[in-house]
Amino acid sequence: MQEQPAATQETDMRERLRHALAHFEHVLPGQAPIKDFVHHNTLHGFQHLEFTQALAEAERITGARGFLPLERFREFYKQGRIVREDLEQAMHDTTGFEPDAVIHAGIAGTLSRRDVLIAALLHPIKKLTGCQLNWQIEEMQVLTRFQSDVDSASRRRLMESAARQGLNNESEAIADLWSACLQALGLEFNMLHPEELMDLSPEQVEQILSQFGAGDEPAAGAHVVIRKQVAKALDQLLQRVGPELTLRGLLLRLTGKDLLEDIRPLIIRHLANHLDQGMAAWHAKDRPLGFYTSWRQSAALDLTGLFADLPEWLEEITILDEDPMETVISELQRLQLPEDRWEQYLERLALELPGWSGMFYWHHSHPGYKGFENIPVDMVDYLAVRLVLDRLFAQQLCRQQWQVAPSLDMLRWHFRRHRSEFMVRDYLNNQHLPEYLASQAQRLVNQTVALADNYQHWERLADMIWTWRHSPSADLPEGHSVYSHGWKLFRLSQHLGLSGEEIRCLSSTQVESLFNCLDQLTPDKAAFLWLQAYEHHYREQIFNAIVNNEGRGQWKQREQRPAAQIVWCMDDREEAIRRHLEAINPQIETFGAAAHYNVPHNWRGLDDQEITGLCPVVMVPSHEIKETPKPANEALAHEHGQRHKRRLWLKNLIHQETRRNLLASTAIMLLAAPASLAVLIAKALTPLGLSNLSNRLRERYEMQVPTDISLTAAPDAPEGTIEHNRLGFSLEEQTDRIETFLQNIGLVDGFSRLPIIMGHGSSSENNPHRAAYDCGACSGRHSGPNARILAAIGNRPEVREELRKRAIDIPGDCWFVGAFHNTCNEQIDWLDLDRIPATHRQELSDIRSNIDQACHLSAHERCRKFFSAPKHPDQNQALTHIQGRSWDFSQARPELGHATNACAVIGRRSITQGAFFDRRAFLISYDPTKDPSGAIIERLLLANGPVGAGISLEYYFSTVNNEEYGCGTKVLHNITGLFGVMEGASSDLRTGLPRQMIEIHEAMRLQVLVEAKIDLLTEIYMRQPPLQELVGKGWLLLSAKDPDSERIDVFYPDKGWVRWTGQVSLLPIVKHSVDWYAGHMDPLTPVLLQQPEVTSHA
Amino acid sequence: MPDIAQHAWLIPLLPILAAAGIALTYLFTNNRGEHGERFTARVALGAGSLSLLLVLLIDAMALLNGTAPGQIHLAQWLSSGAYSIHISFTLDILGLVMMTLVSVIALITLRFSVNYMHRESGFQRFFMILCLFTSAMLLIVIGGSPAMVFVGWELAGVSSYLLIGYALERPTATNNATRAFVTNRIGDAGFILGLFLALYWVGDLEWPTLLSAASDLSTLDSGLLALGFLIAALVKSAQVPFAPWIARALEGPTPSSAVFYGSLMVHAGVYLVIRLEPLLEQTPIIMALMVFIGLLTALYGYLVSLVQTDVNSTLMFSTMAQVGLMFLTCGLGLFELATIHLVIHAIWRAYQFLSSPSHMHLMSRPTRPVPNWLAQQRWLYTAALNRFWLDPLGDWLLTQSSKDLAQELQAFDDRVIVPLVGLPARANAVTSLADWESQKRGFSRLAEGDVGHGQGVAGKLMEGIASLLHWFEEHLVLKGGGEGLVNTIQRVGARLQKVEELLSQPRYLLLLIMATFAVII
Repeated sequence: MQEQPAATQETDMRERLRHALAHFEHVLPGQAPIKDFVHHNTLHGFQHLEFTQALAEAERITGARGFLPLERFREFYKQGRIVREDLEQAMHDTTGFEPDAVIHAGIAGTLSRRDVLIAALLHPIKKLTGCQLNWQIEEMQVLTRFQSDVDSASRRRLMESAARQGLNNESEAIADLWSACLQALGLEFNMLHPEELMDLSPEQVEQILSQFGAGDEPAAGAHVVIRKQVAKALDQLLQRVGPELTLRGLLLRLTGKDLLEDIRPLIIRHLANHLDQGMAAWHAKDRPLGFYTSWRQSAALDLTGLFADLPEWLEEITILDEDPMETVISELQRLQLPEDRWEQYLERLALELPGWSGMFYWHHSHPGYKGFENIPVDMVDYLAVRLVLDRLFAQQLCRQQWQVAPSLDMLRWHFRRHRSEFMVRDYLNNQHLPEYLASQAQRLVNQTVALADNYQHWERLADMIWTWRHSPSADLPEGHSVYSHGWKLFRLSQHLGLSGEEIRCLSSTQVESLFNCLDQLTPDKAAFLWLQAYEHHYREQIFNAIVNNEGRGQWKQREQRPAAQIVWCMDDREEAIRRHLEAINPQIETFGAAAHYNVPHNWRGLDDQEITGLCPVVMVPSHEIKETPKPANEALAHEHGQRHKRRLWLKNLIHQETRRNLLASTAIMLLAAPASLAVLIAKALTPLGLSNLSNRLRERYEMQVPTDISLTAAPDAPEGTIEHNRLGFSLEEQTDRIETFLQNIGLVDGFSRLPIIMGHGSSSENNPHRAAYDCGACSGRHSGPNARILAAIGNRPEVREELRKRAIDIPGDCWFVGAFHNTCNEQIDWLDLDRIPATHRQELSDIRSNIDQACHLSAHERCRKFFSAPKHPDQNQALTHIQGRSWDFSQARPELGHATNACAVIGRRSITQGAFFDRRAFLISYDPTKDPSGAIIERLLLANGPVGAGISLEYYFSTVNNEEYGCGTKVLHNITGLFGVMEGASSDLRTGLPRQMIEIHEAMRLQVLVEAKIDLLTEIYMRQPPLQELVGKGWLLLSAKDPDSERIDVFYPDKGWVRWTGQVSLLPIVKHSVDWYAGHMDPLTPVLLQQPEVTSHA
Repeated sequence: MPDIAQHAWLIPLLPILAAAGIALTYLFTNNRGEHGERFTARVALGAGSLSLLLVLLIDAMALLNGTAPGQIHLAQWLSSGAYSIHISFTLDILGLVMMTLVSVIALITLRFSVNYMHRESGFQRFFMILCLFTSAMLLIVIGGSPAMVFVGWELAGVSSYLLIGYALERPTATNNATRAFVTNRIGDAGFILGLFLALYWVGDLEWPTLLSAASDLSTLDSGLLALGFLIAALVKSAQVPFAPWIARALEGPTPSSAVFYGSLMVHAGVYLVIRLEPLLEQTPIIMALMVFIGLLTALYGYLVSLVQTDVNSTLMFSTMAQVGLMFLTCGLGLFELATIHLVIHAIWRAYQFLSSPSHMHLMSRPTRPVPNWLAQQRWLYTAALNRFWLDPLGDWLLTQSSKDLAQELQAFDDRVIVPLVGLPARANAVTSLADWESQKRGFSRLAEGDVGHGQGVAGKLMEGIASLLHWFEEHLVLKGGGEGLVNTIQRVGARLQKVEELLSQPRYLLLLIMATFAVII
């Protein structure tokens, strides 16, 4: 074989490493800078896998668990959020559990696998250590008493059965059970004396020594055996460098010292400064040269090495290569890591600060992000810097500890000669040593080199640890023992109500099948069963309500012309206000749709210097819509613009310049002094009053300018592109957009006189994650402009003319109105009111007062979830409270966002109208009767599936593991570089949702119910890979409601459609929603609402 | 009309009672979790409001009378011979202004925390500490003597320690809390020195007496006295070179950062300096020192704040710069200007820190970049980014050596104290398989001459006697000759050398000097 020329080899390696970077997308958090926060599946990178596989894979790589702890599920069981039937159903739906299989048919009933599995799900049945068993026996008297968590039915059963064999009291029955369990397993049990737990008796010693074949090699003593095993452990550990460990991880295992503690603050300063979006006034001079170069220039002047006992720092930095990739390669070579593990090593390295790595990687894969046109962000830069810093600090540590260089070969060489030391260190840092050993080990490790001349201390301690490992107090992994099997069987029998006699009746295969059930319930499998049961419980309620509501909901067909039609966002938060509005005025029909309203565009508001894309994240608009002053208002607009700039200037002066300058800050503070105390007090005591005042002042000062939007493109304007947006839409584009939109929501006939398009958004103080509360369909912005644009399109006679050609006839007396709903403070802004024809004014004002009342009721309903809200507010108090929250700078929960989302219904409003869904449902309007080909539902599923999944899964993961998938409590958050939050001043960047957003969330996957024929859905599913991924891999749960009957089918990826045969029970009917929710804080089951008599119903 | 000022003692007492109330109900009743929040908040806010009410009444009386109540003497605290320390309060104009400021800001912060800390597991703990801190700050600003102030000073130190470490489960937070605490001990040493000298030279600690007596002191004496207090002030207000602790203190919840490092505690040092105006004016060197350090800190804070990218750090360093300016103004003799600056700055930073979570949304454009000539300074940028390396420097000088000291004390404990006291050693069982094996093969892996293990002093005594006899037998009788004896002498020599080595290290020298001082005093 010819050796490849070195140069090609090196290029290959560069290629390989470059290529490895692409894989980071799967493992690093993909969260955008926080101002552009949009909900997405936290495990987006694993979405190509089955849900459970993805969770397991993510846990393997990042260590973060993706299920709620089992204890939490058991709590839900106690609260009735999950019941036994749910668990049984979950078992039934999952292959491999065979719940019906009978283990033993005894005298008093049969014992099936189901009983065993459920007992094991409901109660933790785990093995013990010797010490724990001793404690249980002596302190809890477990051998003479029922375990405290055994329910009364099982107790009764066991006692009855025991009575048959003549054991009439509890202590006898339990003692007999214990001996029966041991008998069944052929075990013997002697209570150990406490000393025996710690040390070995001479007999035990002899037994152990004979075990590891000291006899085979007469010369080899125990010490030699230990040495051999340690060498193996050392090799295994070094093998793990790369796939599981980095140099830092290795040294952490060996010395207990975390290099990252020293490195993190150093690297974060540089990283944050490089990625900063405008918090700092001073950025590195070399920032446009890339992170690596900029860091290298700065580090060459850094005195850190001087104080950190790293005299070689400056020299080492100076000789670094200019090319970061070269540095990466040379650092990995210096580490003497085999080349085939390099990719894994880099990935592992990136995962050590997932937040920062993720943000850096986000920029790496989104070049040209606003403000970063001239600032390159390359992941290789980051890795190179990390590698250099790791090595420098490792050098210091390794020198101090062992006088060797930090490379794998050197460490192997050292520890091959110091095996006892290796063993002691390994146990000290990675296992639970008992205190007497741990303290001795700690002392040896802490010794400075000069004092550690006595190596036999290490040897002796290693021997002692080895001995302890074989004593009964250590948690021995293997074996059929009293502590493991005996104890488990004993506990299980109690929960199953089996007496000693019954255990004795079991054959050994039957006993084995008991353990088989227990073994089958791995933590992952158990957690997934619980999750399915949890979801099942909720699903049954929803389906039951929908079946009960069949035929009650209004607007299945528009037999009568509605008084108004209002299109809201599909958002779960709009469910309540729609429900209230329909109750107030049954003549109003409501719709739900993604609130980009099919007019993706770049918006430039009157005061905006820059454009903002108002469309889903996956789109890049090619049209710009500009807000311009109405004719004859130019002078006013100019004045307004000036004043607006002046106000911003003042605001900047006050908020930013006071922290940027030295003397000027003092001067500004002195000037602002008269107002600042008053403002501070007012802000603390009456946030709403202060904000009302300041809003009024602002409006009066800035003056309102009546505006138009540049809706229609000039006839000769060239086609819009991403780079060169077209100002306004052409007539054809307008017609296309509104046509598609109206088809989507099923509004192609029966137009009312007032169709209202309602955008939404949220405003609050004290909320770095504010974008998460805004309109997700508009990339986390306000979608008011979209509503305004769509309404304006709908009102153009030319568009209506075109639409008529396409079989959508909008009557002449119909007028579209745009509006904006603030979901945080329930305020509604009406847009372009001045254009409304006089004929519609009165009607609109009636509808507005209806909506106003609905806002009050919505606020009232929201109050029930807030601890600090008045307990029994009237409508006005409720609204005042809700508005106050949004302006309160101390309020960490201005609103609860999507915290209650749990299901999505795609279909006519008539399915859900008339029932109470507790603000938990995304409601997406779709009329199956107008979509015979399925083209519309295909569109809707493709567009809304990922959005719903993104929201629900982000909530899911942030809830089940807030520490690792979420970002912890807001209370400690510190906004960094305007792109993220840290805890304190030098932590990793925290991604995901804060605890305040998820604390009331019920973590389950989204139930999607589509009103369509299942054959149609199957066809779509078969041709759409994105749906096969989301639904087929279990990220969304899909069911279908038949448009013509009350039949519901559930889709199982492995079985296909299965008709739902759940129990239908009568639901109570309440007059108003409030009758149902008043006084409750917890999630509520659906209920039917009394339907008003609609006179028009023929 | 009763003199309301006589009840000034209630002002700091009320919050501390609230703290005690919260702590006791937490321990003994079910004031826990979400359901205890209302009660806790009411107690804290109630005490804060009452205290503020009292403050405002005293203010109003003072305004009506046209004169401040001055020194309020309550009781004698301790006395020893000619020395006595009183419980007293200084309600002069400075005291009135400061107590109003403190109680207003503390109350606003408490109010803020009710919503902000909702559902935090440490809710009760947080309110308790905040009340404790309020009380401490009030004691500092109206305490009638440095002794009273010192009580508040320590209490503030302890409560800041507890709040930096609020997130108990985060190692960074608890580490930093400890660092801050250790640094603050330096200031305490200065304060104690000041107290001691004042007591020694003046005899009466009441502010008016102490400060008027200052003019009788020699320049050297008053300089030394002032230096002690100044060190305390510099540490508390995080001036260069003691600055780094405060940047590490940013681990607590937002409202605590607001009162501790933004608004109140960071100004405690400035207050102390202003209070000492008559004393300081006696000592031009100390004044010059204040100008120097103030200027240094102002520049330090300013430059470092320019490169900070997180909102808390940027606010923190600009706060530090402003406080540096206050020291500078004091050093120039403009104490009144410094007072005005202090009050306005405290209010402003309270507002700014409390609204830091929304800072991002209050900014409508990126921060104005630094001028080009500054942007080009690579070294200065690196220095600012690394905070002029004060932290590793301090680490190098102070923290590390106290850690080493602790480690060696541990070793001392293990080697001397434990064997002496005779804590249970482990015996009678097989602790090491290899030992067992070796023993069975007829030789011991332990050092030769080991005769067995005893326990406790008596056991050791027996063991010692046995060993001695064994040794005697082995070395002198069996081996004969003098080798054994020579070995012994060599070993003793090696030990002595080790002691000498240890003494050559600065920390032991320091320890020795301190011990000598202790003996002399």
